[in-house]
Amino acid sequence: MNSMEQQFLEAGSLMLAGMVVVFAFLGLLILFITTVLAKLAVTFPDKIAPITNRSNKKNNKATSGEISPAIVAAISGAVSRYRQQHAEPNLKK
Amino acid sequence: MESLNKLWLSTGLANFELGQVIMMLVGCGLLYLAIARSFEPLLLLPMGFGAVLTNIPVAGFSEVGGFLSYVYHGGIETGIFPLIIFMGVGAMTDFGALIANPKTLLLGAAAQTGIFATLFGAIALNAVPGIEFTLREASAIAIIGGADGPTAIFLATKLAPELLGAIAVAAYSYMALVPIIQPPIMRALTTLDERKIEMAQLRSVTKIEKIIFPLGVLMMTIFFLPAATPLVGMFCLGNLMRESGVVDRLSSTAQNELINITTILLGLGVGSKLSAEAFLNIETLGILGLGAVAFSIGTASGVLMAKLMNKLSKVPINPLIGAAGVSAVPMAARVANKVGLEANPHNFLLMHAMGPNVAGVLGSAVAAGILLALVG
Repeated sequence: MNSMEQQFLEAGSLMLAGMVVVFAFLGLLILFITTVLAKLAVTFPDKIAPITNRSNKKNNKATSGEISPAIVAAISGAVSRYRQQHAEPNLKK
Repeated sequence: MESLNKLWLSTGLANFELGQVIMMLVGCGLLYLAIARSFEPLLLLPMGFGAVLTNIPVAGFSEVGGFLSYVYHGGIETGIFPLIIFMGVGAMTDFGALIANPKTLLLGAAAQTGIFATLFGAIALNAVPGIEFTLREASAIAIIGGADGPTAIFLATKLAPELLGAIAVAAYSYMALVPIIQPPIMRALTTLDERKIEMAQLRSVTKIEKIIFPLGVLMMTIFFLPAATPLVGMFCLGNLMRESGVVDRLSSTAQNELINITTILLGLGVGSKLSAEAFLNIETLGILGLGAVAFSIGTASGVLMAKLMNKLSKVPINPLIGAAGVSAVPMAARVANKVGLEANPHNFLLMHAMGPNVAGVLGSAVAAGILLALVG
């Protein structure tokens, strides 16, 4: 019984030490995120990729304001593929 | 006639022992859970099959020189497999939600109460005749409350290798049962109004923050808890490979091929420990029972901590996300989201719950490091 009491005491001190260290460690991590990382985020923000209309320009130039044949072909291809895919289940029914 | 007799003696039928048959049935039970019920199939399937293989009479899979014996000694006893898996988990983890809302780290810390409270349960079980857990064994059992398979296996091999089979089975079984164990506890500890709380949208996190985060975690572990560096270090390596964006091939390998190969071998190796003499005893029942207690206490502590934070914080916090602090990524976060949606169909808590969920992974690795440092 004494040995069990001893073990309970050891478990109690282990729990106390364990929970204190877990909270302290993760608490320090909060501090790290809110200070170091937050400062880094302000100093080095993500680069926003410039929006380029290179492909559109190219196509527009080619057709002088009209929609290029390549885009028309791509759209009609996609539409027909979509119709095929969505028509099959109905046909089966 | 002598040849026939010799042949008969070399068959499985002539050599089967009752314990082996029972353990094969246990293995088949794990296969059933994996295949029919989809309970952690990635690990329970190879583990169940490993249990069947190791109990085949005469074949000697787990005896010296046997295939499973090499797998166990080479990969599990050395701690290599759990660490490789931890690297893969790191490569799959996005810390964005945690960095956006760092307070959720406290939820991951609170949920570790389950681990340390279970120590008492394991020692209390010593009052039962036939059970005698030392503090090392109690610590290895308690880590089941961390709901983290690789961490549980890593610690069990270091502190109580003789209990590895039962601990691994309990850890993965309860992780699979998260959607069943957690919701009643979450509902019992929260009011409907609390479950309806909608949380503010998370800020966007920059690339530099995500790159520096794993390095910062590693530095802190080196300074304050070097015993946890094997687990945390491999986790951070995987995460840095993911976030740096310069080693996509390595990151992809860690997330896919490497973790898959290791999972197969880890499952087989753990299954090889499911022998009759190691598993069929009253201690296993105790371990299975303690696992459920550990999980429940961890869930409850997380929810109660979130309730407290909601009371003290100016920004509303839905207490349900506290339950995700028990690791079990991403299942626990999904459960928090599901229970939240039941109360408020417009409340999507998944991203908010991912913060405490990944904090739980770190928390359980830190707890394992503490147990190793103090008991190991």
